[in-house]
Amino acid sequence: MPEPPPIVQVVGLTKRYGAITAVEQVSFAVARGEIFGILGPNGAGKTTTLELIEGLRRADAGTIVVDGVDVARDPRGARARIGVQLQEAGFFERLTVEETLRLFGAYHRRRLAPALLIEQVQLQDKRWALVRTLSGGQRQRLALAVALVNDPPLLFLDEPTTGLDPQARRNLWDLITRFRAEGRTVILTTHYMEEAERLCDRVAIMDHGRIIALDTPRALVAAHAGVTMIRVTLAGGTADLTALPGVRGGTEVDGDVVLASADALRTVHGLMDLQRGGAVRVARLRIAEGTLEDVFLQLTGRRLRE
Amino acid sequence: MRAYLLTVTMLFRHYLRDRASLFWGLLFPLILMGLIGVAFGREEALLFRVSVVGGGPVAAQFRRDLARAPVLAVEGDRDESAALDDLRRGRRTLVVVLPPSGGTIRVYFDQARAQEARAALLILERFVAEANLRASGVPPALRVRPMPIAAGRRMRFFDFLLPGILAMTVMNSGLQGVSWVVTEYRQRLVLKRVLATPVHPGVFLGALVTRYALTNVVQLAVIMLIAVTAFGAVVAGSLAALAVLAVLGTLVFVGMGLAISSVSRTPESANLLGSLLNFPMLFLAGTLWPREFMPAALQPLISALPLTPLVETMRAVSARGESLFAHLPALAALGAWGLAAVAIAVWRFEWE
Repeated sequence: MPEPPPIVQVVGLTKRYGAITAVEQVSFAVARGEIFGILGPNGAGKTTTLELIEGLRRADAGTIVVDGVDVARDPRGARARIGVQLQEAGFFERLTVEETLRLFGAYHRRRLAPALLIEQVQLQDKRWALVRTLSGGQRQRLALAVALVNDPPLLFLDEPTTGLDPQARRNLWDLITRFRAEGRTVILTTHYMEEAERLCDRVAIMDHGRIIALDTPRALVAAHAGVTMIRVTLAGGTADLTALPGVRGGTEVDGDVVLASADALRTVHGLMDLQRGGAVRVARLRIAEGTLEDVFLQLTGRRLRE
Repeated sequence: MRAYLLTVTMLFRHYLRDRASLFWGLLFPLILMGLIGVAFGREEALLFRVSVVGGGPVAAQFRRDLARAPVLAVEGDRDESAALDDLRRGRRTLVVVLPPSGGTIRVYFDQARAQEARAALLILERFVAEANLRASGVPPALRVRPMPIAAGRRMRFFDFLLPGILAMTVMNSGLQGVSWVVTEYRQRLVLKRVLATPVHPGVFLGALVTRYALTNVVQLAVIMLIAVTAFGAVVAGSLAALAVLAVLGTLVFVGMGLAISSVSRTPESANLLGSLLNFPMLFLAGTLWPREFMPAALQPLISALPLTPLVETMRAVSARGESLFAHLPALAALGAWGLAAVAIAVWRFEWE
């Protein structure tokens, strides 16, 4: 059976601002029904990539096809098929939530009723409130409702949870997961690795305008941070444990021994053998899987938020 | 069409919920008109207070005759020192001291107010000359008969001021209103949000212009209503013609406002640039006082300003009841300004 065509196909996308290349030779495809994340530090070119695909900016090179429409040839036609949530969405401060949704609905041929959208993003009790009275989380929900106004098969969310408190962030994650359950495709940018890990089916890691890795979060961790971090607190000082099986390296952090292991099971078995033999006494043992943060560190030598 | 109409509606609601713009659009022009009216618009007739000092039947007769002279109010002070004291305090323009019988009349005046005193003196001298003439019994060779000019209606100060205030309101809505509002929409990414939909950008800009044209027509109607009822101003010409001028003026100044917003990064800098264009035009173009008050060297510049044809046609229609067709060159000048402003706005307009 042939694979269904991707809903977004980007090939060789490049955007320059003067001497600065914001996006360089970016290519990827997004399948229908997946949540696709673009992860990277601020200034990596995530937003520019998104806005090129949305047709808000003109690419210097490359082709973009969105739901069968060539964005360069028909940007407004492409925009009719997508829902866009901008980073720091701008709305009319003295219109109500309901009025805002009616206004933006009028800009599309196909539109959902404001009441339905308000229910979807759970803003029922703010339906008649002026936009200027909304909290940060409520504004993001309104931005999502506006993105949904034309019932699009494809949603673009630019840093949807930046600036939100943890509770509001989790609520928004639930919403985005629901979009996927409804059969929509979601492309989002984020600089929170936890967000990318929890939400995204696949993640493209961007740095300096290029995609430096692209896969499922699990595969990325396995390929680039395929070690397990084992943190050992020993009763009575420290010891050199790097000779244990599977250990790739070790450091000392705050009096603990931190081991990077390619085979956590064998390393822990070895440690237990040492304990039974009386060579060491383990007071505490913590094991953590590698994260996308570690992947980024491995690939660039820098942390995501530096 | 639905997108356009709904945008106009929502922009209108957005405006009505903004008390500051209601103040600048409605209350400020009214307050300005009231203040200027109080300061310069007094209709009280020219009147000089004159004391006539002296006793006897001759003085009494002189007083009675003088009281009939126009613009002189004769006060009956009895003694000279009290009258001179009044003169020094500025309560009198002249103090006339009559001799007991014929001879020299002494007239005192305040040198600090020489101009006013000279005018009053001139009237007094004419009065005395006439009295002498009558006494001599010679018939006058020449007579003066005052004739009101054929134009008919007398233009009162508020009739003059009202169209200036109307034109100013239209200009403010563009140079101070649109420039600020659109720069703010751009800075807050409202314009970008609109651009991220399939709607044609022209629909949004057209709705913006329409909302300003509508609010200007309503604002001008309210200002006129209050000027007529509270200040007794007279609108002689066609209201429809004034509405046409309001819409045309809106196109010119909304276009200029959009152009200003295109070269401004922040609402504050747009406001500053708007003021830089707004205030010189307000003072030069004959808005609040006749443009002839400005030096002759500035007149060609004044003629070239976009506000001047708007003020002049509005005044011709409102105060003198003239037809728009009598002012086609001014309308053409306005139209040219409108086209130029809109062209620059469209050419330079940025959504982000």
